[in-house]
Amino acid sequence: MSAPTVTRGQDTAPRSRGEQVASAPLLQRLAGSPWSFLLPFLLVYGAFLLWPLLRGFWLSFTDTALNGSGGAFVGLANYAEALGDPMMWNALGNTAFFTVISTVPLVLIALAMALLVHSGLPGQWLWRLSFFLPFLLPVATVALVWKFLYNQDFGLINQFIGFFGGEGVGWLSDTGVAMWSIALTTVWWTVGFNFLLYLAALQSIPDHLYEAAAIDGAGAWARLRSITLPQLRGTTVVVCVLQLLASLKVFDQIYLMTMGGPQDSTRSLLLYVYDVGFTGYRFGYSAAVSYLFLAIVVVISIVQLRLAARRRA
Amino acid sequence: MVQRSHDGAGPPGAARGQALLSRRRLLQGGLAGAGALALGGLLGGCGPAAGPGGSTVRYWSLFNGGDGALMERMLAEIAEQAPHLRVEPTVLAWGAPYYTKLAMASVGGRAPETGIMHLSRLAGYAPGGLLDPFDLGLLAEFGVGAEHFLPELWGRASHDGRHYAIPLDTHPLIVFYDTGTADRAGLLTSEGALRAFESPEDFVEASRELAEASGDNGVAFGHVNDDAQGWRVFFSLYSQTGAAMELPAGGPAVFDPDAALRVFTLLAEVFDGETSSNRLDYQTALAGFSSGRSGLLFCGEWELPYLRDAVPDLGVAPFPTLFEQPASYADSHSFVLPRQSDPDPERVRAAHEFVALMVRASLTWAEAGHVPAYQPVVESAAYRGLGPQTDYAASAENPALEPAAWFAGAGSDFQSDMGSVVQTALMGAGPEAAVDQLDRALSNWVARTNPTEESA
Amino acid sequence: MAVDTATRPAPPGPAPRARAQRGETARRQRSLVLGPGPVPRILGMAALIAMAAIWLLPMVWAAATSLKTEQDAVALPLSWIPETGFTLEQYRAMFAEGDVQLWMFNSLVIAVAVTALTVVVSAPAAYAFSRTAFRGRRTLFVLTIAAIMVPPQLMIVPLFEQMAALNLVDTYAAVILPQLVMPVIVFILKRFFDNIPRELEEAARMDGATNWRILVSVVLPLSRPILAATSIFVFITAWNNYLWPFVVITDPALMTLPVGIPNVLDSYGTVNAMQMAQSVIAAAPMVIVFMLFQRQIVRSVATTGLGGQ
Repeated sequence: MSAPTVTRGQDTAPRSRGEQVASAPLLQRLAGSPWSFLLPFLLVYGAFLLWPLLRGFWLSFTDTALNGSGGAFVGLANYAEALGDPMMWNALGNTAFFTVISTVPLVLIALAMALLVHSGLPGQWLWRLSFFLPFLLPVATVALVWKFLYNQDFGLINQFIGFFGGEGVGWLSDTGVAMWSIALTTVWWTVGFNFLLYLAALQSIPDHLYEAAAIDGAGAWARLRSITLPQLRGTTVVVCVLQLLASLKVFDQIYLMTMGGPQDSTRSLLLYVYDVGFTGYRFGYSAAVSYLFLAIVVVISIVQLRLAARRRA
Repeated sequence: MVQRSHDGAGPPGAARGQALLSRRRLLQGGLAGAGALALGGLLGGCGPAAGPGGSTVRYWSLFNGGDGALMERMLAEIAEQAPHLRVEPTVLAWGAPYYTKLAMASVGGRAPETGIMHLSRLAGYAPGGLLDPFDLGLLAEFGVGAEHFLPELWGRASHDGRHYAIPLDTHPLIVFYDTGTADRAGLLTSEGALRAFESPEDFVEASRELAEASGDNGVAFGHVNDDAQGWRVFFSLYSQTGAAMELPAGGPAVFDPDAALRVFTLLAEVFDGETSSNRLDYQTALAGFSSGRSGLLFCGEWELPYLRDAVPDLGVAPFPTLFEQPASYADSHSFVLPRQSDPDPERVRAAHEFVALMVRASLTWAEAGHVPAYQPVVESAAYRGLGPQTDYAASAENPALEPAAWFAGAGSDFQSDMGSVVQTALMGAGPEAAVDQLDRALSNWVARTNPTEESA
Repeated sequence: MAVDTATRPAPPGPAPRARAQRGETARRQRSLVLGPGPVPRILGMAALIAMAAIWLLPMVWAAATSLKTEQDAVALPLSWIPETGFTLEQYRAMFAEGDVQLWMFNSLVIAVAVTALTVVVSAPAAYAFSRTAFRGRRTLFVLTIAAIMVPPQLMIVPLFEQMAALNLVDTYAAVILPQLVMPVIVFILKRFFDNIPRELEEAARMDGATNWRILVSVVLPLSRPILAATSIFVFITAWNNYLWPFVVITDPALMTLPVGIPNVLDSYGTVNAMQMAQSVIAAAPMVIVFMLFQRQIVRSVATTGLGGQ
């Protein structure tokens, strides 16, 4: 890739304005050229994105360890191992499952919230506070509070169920339930972001569309279906893209609430990358898993962009 | 929280250790002071706190709950004995998070001067150069040497002829019981101690009686989402059958599937989900036992200080012998020196002095329930006079020690894999499937190569 | 003015408006969306109240628990008001320990530095992409946009290795530097700059101002709303970032608030009421900031969240 070298190419850049004098000292010429504007960004881009990206790619072909030992080229061995690693597939499956069960409510509930708040009912400040505030909480708070709520014994939720005579649920200890619990926490935590995006989109729908419909005698439900939802289609596409990518990268709340348990039922792909690399010391293998993951992310992004483009067309 | 905590409801607000980080102390006035500090913080902020004196000892541990409280007391004692040592203690989450951080700190170059490590983890750290060896001459200056430890224990602390760990204790798995409940269940001897069990069936029967006597749960065993408890209990019982387990690098793994099946079957029978819950996590098991909802608890002796306060009629006993021979899982907390990329001789010396002082002060530590490693303390009259600790002292005579392997040890992925095998036996596909899973997991682990060992 | 359109999608329209006028708008909107009858209004209100209650409950419960003793926190049956009354014991113990203040300070330093430096790094780049011509501009811009797709979380291993090699593990710099690469901010700013009429710059250019001068004295002042929006967005992201600070900081004295609280323990263990007190304190700065600047934060998220659309 060319990004690191372009910073050296400043003297070949055409001068868009005539202010630079060809014989001026390099530094002075640089100061006025477009490259001087790009330099800081290209430096951090090169050093902290491009370099680790390339370095990680190289690592994925070696057996480098956390303590720097190893480092020998092993070809595609790491990739072959990853493709035959049941733990990797389990993590991939968990990630996909989480992505589905979190994305759907994160979009639908956000939409419902936005529609309700947008209706102009009194208490706007309170609704926005209630729905968006959790998004601003650090994950430490979110995880601690929800672990407390989920506690099998003295957690608020099971106590509430018990109050009505129900059987307590092993929210974080039952392999079939734990990922749903993580998703529930995630919805509570981050739905406010999507809610705001929808709210902003709703507020930019011109009033006259509704007024015209009202004159035509369309009821509230008809207006929602024929005006509001179609107008929100673009936003929905973007929200879905953002949400999908965010859900695929899930790490924080899982690490803090279950550490991937019980029985690896909540171990996400990113958690597996961390475990293999830092807890298991295998930088090379961890990098290979990262790259498989990156490939998935890129494919999904491209497919989504294609779909979005087609829909717009 | 992530960590397998040792505590349900410890008493905060007791005297805090005095050796707090200097920057911490500066900030104690609250955030109001932070503004004034901002400049200094920014200027000095790009490096770790560079203490002015050379005798700062940063000390990492994974002790909380009752252990943590006693550790604070020991630190306070050391602060009095050796005021020239500035000890900055940090308690991190137990298990994999702790060991991951310790390794990353060593690699990062700014590791703490000393830290606690389970002896069972040494095989995974020493060969990879993540630890610095102790200078035994220096340690002798401060009055600690090989002659003060049981040779077997001391031997486990070295690697390639170098000495990487100084043991502080041995800590076996034991059982706690409520004497009232156990009495109602008819499980006490005439002297009021837990009776011996003749067979696995006898224990299953006893667990039913305990459930009836407690009115809720018979035996409490918190293993769900736990990275160690399942393995500790399994390995204790497995060792009781007399079967061997060997995990040589490169394989093949040696284990006895029939013995493992006996263990899983017994566990599944006891923890049937009716009389004894099969799905407790560590905290819930502890909380349930301490509030009288369970009659007996499988746990480590490290919960002694907490349970002694919480349960009025607490009984303690060695882990019961249910198969052919007595055995209970045991490990040792020991001091290590995480690798320093740029060791400061002054600090290294201070770290040695600190470790020696701590080991010699382990009488206090024994109150946490642990059996001290430092023999002069064990032989002292003061130790022999310690209350319930003597009730399970026998455990230390039959320790089931983890097979030495680079991947094994307290809080390792290996242990949590083993825990998930136990969960399969109790909550999943059952004992037979658990044996298959065990077989697969063991072969899998021995087939791996230690990534940190220099290969090329 | 075109400048305004880029921030316009944000609720709720032009800044301070009279209460009565706002009420009028709301009424109109209500009848437009819900129709005239009272039934949908009542149903909508009930739904909102129910949802808000569910969303607020965890926070209120955490706050209530933080004011209990440890015994009361897990005493069954649970109760909102503890038998022995509320107590500040947890907060006293926590502040006496001193860690939380230290982490809060670290978080603040890091989030402020990330925010300021990200803007300093991104704004000139956005200007170059928007206003200057040079060979390779298109390619570079595509590369920048493509980088939005790369989740930084996937690079923790090579980044950690890099920081170890630079001897930066356990420094503020190690936490800050990788967070400065925010291609999406460059993208948002460029789109905004594109909408600033060039005529506004021409006068300055006539006076012989250089590109830098124009950026600093013409473009940036006109971009205040988008700069505020992106800064708020970057700040929130940096303040709550977990994975990278967690990976690169091992020294508890340098940890940020989200990293320190769950990873460094009190010697007395994971104690429930104490944890809730820590949670409340960790949440407090953002809650207060949100209450004070709700409008700005909402607008920031709405504008930057969709990549400036």
